[in-house]
Amino acid sequence: MRLTVNGRPHEIETAPAASLFEVLRARLLLAGTKIACGRGECGVCTVLLDGEPVYSCLTLAAACDGAAVTTVEGLAPPGALAPLQRAFIAHDAAQCGYCTPGQLIAAHALLAANPRPADDEIREAMSGNLCRCGTYPKILAAIRAVAHGEFAGLGSAGGA
Amino acid sequence: MARKPVARKPKARKPEARGRGPAPGRFVETAVEVEGRTETRIVEIPASEPAPWTDAAPLAVVGARVPRVDAEEKVTGRARYTADIARPGMLHAVFRRAPIPRGRIRTLDLAPARAVPGVYDVLGPGDAPEKTRLFSREIFYAEQPVAAVCADTRAAAIRAAHAIVVEYDPAPFAVTFEQAVAPDAPKVRAKGNLYPGSPIVESRGDLDAGLRAADVVIRREYRTPVALHSALEPHGAVAEWEGDRLTVWESTQGIFRVREHVAKALGVPMSKVRVIKEQMGGGFGAKNGAGAHTYAAALFARRTGRPVRCVNDREAEQTDSGNRPATTQRVTLGAKRDGTLTAIHLVADVPLGISGWEGGPGQFYHEMYACPNVRTEETFAYVNTSGMQAFRGPGYTEGAFGLESAMNALARELHMDPIALRVKNFAERDPRKNRPYTGNRLLECYEEGARRFGWKTVNREPSTVNRKRRGVGLASQVWPTGGGPPAYALVRINSDATVEVLTGTQDLGTGARTVLAQIAAEALGAKLEHVRMIIGDTQSLPYTGNSWGSMTTASVGPAVRMAAEDARHQLVEAAATMLAATPDALEVRDSRLIVRDTDRTMTFAEVTGQLGDVMIIGKGSRGPNPPDVAIMTFGAQFAEVEVDVETGIVRVLRIVAVHDAGRIINPLLAESQLEGGILQGLGYALFEERVLDRTLGRQLNANLHDYKIPTMADVPVIEAFFVPGADPRANHTGARGLAEPPIIPTAPAIAAAVADAIGAEVSEIPLTPWRVLEALARG
Repeated sequence: MRLTVNGRPHEIETAPAASLFEVLRARLLLAGTKIACGRGECGVCTVLLDGEPVYSCLTLAAACDGAAVTTVEGLAPPGALAPLQRAFIAHDAAQCGYCTPGQLIAAHALLAANPRPADDEIREAMSGNLCRCGTYPKILAAIRAVAHGEFAGLGSAGGA
Repeated sequence: MARKPVARKPKARKPEARGRGPAPGRFVETAVEVEGRTETRIVEIPASEPAPWTDAAPLAVVGARVPRVDAEEKVTGRARYTADIARPGMLHAVFRRAPIPRGRIRTLDLAPARAVPGVYDVLGPGDAPEKTRLFSREIFYAEQPVAAVCADTRAAAIRAAHAIVVEYDPAPFAVTFEQAVAPDAPKVRAKGNLYPGSPIVESRGDLDAGLRAADVVIRREYRTPVALHSALEPHGAVAEWEGDRLTVWESTQGIFRVREHVAKALGVPMSKVRVIKEQMGGGFGAKNGAGAHTYAAALFARRTGRPVRCVNDREAEQTDSGNRPATTQRVTLGAKRDGTLTAIHLVADVPLGISGWEGGPGQFYHEMYACPNVRTEETFAYVNTSGMQAFRGPGYTEGAFGLESAMNALARELHMDPIALRVKNFAERDPRKNRPYTGNRLLECYEEGARRFGWKTVNREPSTVNRKRRGVGLASQVWPTGGGPPAYALVRINSDATVEVLTGTQDLGTGARTVLAQIAAEALGAKLEHVRMIIGDTQSLPYTGNSWGSMTTASVGPAVRMAAEDARHQLVEAAATMLAATPDALEVRDSRLIVRDTDRTMTFAEVTGQLGDVMIIGKGSRGPNPPDVAIMTFGAQFAEVEVDVETGIVRVLRIVAVHDAGRIINPLLAESQLEGGILQGLGYALFEERVLDRTLGRQLNANLHDYKIPTMADVPVIEAFFVPGADPRANHTGARGLAEPPIIPTAPAIAAAVADAIGAEVSEIPLTPWRVLEALARG
């Protein structure tokens, strides 16, 4: 199967039952995407599939032939930080950080579809991504800041 | 240039002490409180400790609202968790678990598992050292591991675990407190169904006299559920042997404790075991040592000669990785008309699971108020469910729901403002042990919280016409947060002027890396961005204890400060020679040394450049705690809720929290801790409850869909604050702990607001629609 991941095309052989998560981790060695439940309850493994957020643990890899996938590693070029990433840093929107890649992807998808969401729209869109540290107020603040045009453009990594 | 003699505070360390062994009399006993338990330790007194950072100390980095030092790794996906560790040739281990809560294995056939392609090894009864307690033929709780498989893929290991054929002889069981203490109760475990010493009674004053002296007596029964930690990164370990040396990567709150557990269980010397933890996806108290997964990974790795990973799946994480035990709290309060408490009585039942400790609700009853007559009787019973583990504010969180709910009921009974009732019973000294506090600004917490919440101005008239009714409530909190020794740190200044802090602690996502780096930067006079924390490795780092009991900042912070001050003194001595000045004339800040009142200056890099490979290494240790004082964190939380009286659904609109934790090293991260604790408390109040099928003794909601933790959609407006002020008597950084306190008062504050809204008390959490409707029907 063919899969474009973070802009890079791949040709991959995959077991029929393999999930997209397993392909990203085991085959493409992209460890940024985490897993917490493996059954579509928590949103930790969220990635973009042709621009739409999906739970990669429940997405059959074989069904993604020809698709484009974006993971947290693809939000900005190496050495750079996307506006959401800088907003998450500035607002302390990652405590343990385990759910953060999925939160960032879900937030990215939200802002791509709705660049100026109201708070209730942010809550609704992000409610499929659990955070046990309870970082939600900070995640909300970070998304709100980006929606209001703060952190615009790519920033450089390393002391953002 | 003339040098002014300037009076400076004494040096942190006497130079003559360097390089010598401990002098006689340098080891003393000190008391350290861990989650309510007091331990006595013999510790070394540091040769000289830095003077405390008081409120007047001119601090620049400590107290700054700076981002997490590891935030960038976390937002780029570079952060590596134990579940991410992949070693060449690594195998995967999976458990087979028992479906019954009590009984014996009648027959067990492991052969079908061995026949599954990709399987390397299988472990069953008799195959694990006794101290691992793994794979017993006798079953004590449902989901107990009975065998394990390791294979080249996780999928193969799962298939093989399913292929094992087991038959059981079920036996009678007890999964509730009532079942376990019944006269004809089945034997929950070999030795007795009661925790030793139950009922555990603690008493001060004369309860009966206190009740006789009361004008008003209220009696209530409160119930709290079994709550599950539900960390998003499950428990897990990767084990790898090189010869007789074992390396374990573990998602843990205590690398040194895991090392001790593994060494003891496997019968290998501690020096042969190395435990590593880089990042971790939450712990909340459930990850304080090695577990079945650790032992299985280590045993398989030894037997197969391959690295082995064993990570819980979500079901195992929700069923067999620890929990906050349920409580039933029968509370009697006696008070004078003016609100003065004359008696507090608690009779509590706590079903622990198959193992656990006596961290019950009682302590909170002894510590929160200045009542002269207090008696608690706590009965802890073993039951045939997975064992409890500490869970953020263990005991106190349960106890606060009971006592604070009763205090709010008492306030209603007395027609008294619940804040006034609390102020009336404010404890000037620690009432449990009759000793002074190092600091206690709880009264300011009430005042500041009331002001920010608008306690007097919120519309508190319960509406009887609207379907949605609003109410307000509050609750208070106390929690021991002094920390203590032993904890050690090294600070080294590299030839490129970067600074490394080496200390064997761990960051659970709390922000320990960041606050310790801030302390080091402040004490050394270095720029924060030049400081790198090296933590989480037992092999290369000096000892610190577990990250539990909100202890890390107060335990490790002083050691880091002392090490950084030591390094600074050495750097100053070196630079003084280069700058032709006396050490006393040098100031250090922003990675620069300045000869006071001159323009002569050197950067750290210029000094270390001249030093070349001569390395500056500072050493620090945590000194003993001050004797006979109570070191506590306090707080008050205010809740506003809206209750739909037709559906019973409770929505929390607003929480205002004000806590007193001494100096706040990083207000941004501390605020995150408060918000996180409040949201876990909100989950405890409204949604979270392990549900058991009592006829089968098995859990019904072992996933994150049916065990509901809060989502962003549930988040109220949260305003979280600290009253300012260092606590220099607690330790020389002036900081106490703050991680656990915020969960403690949230549930009773919300419950009080619900009672205010509907005019009826719901005495059992979670406050499900059903319970709210029942309370409304009772009226």
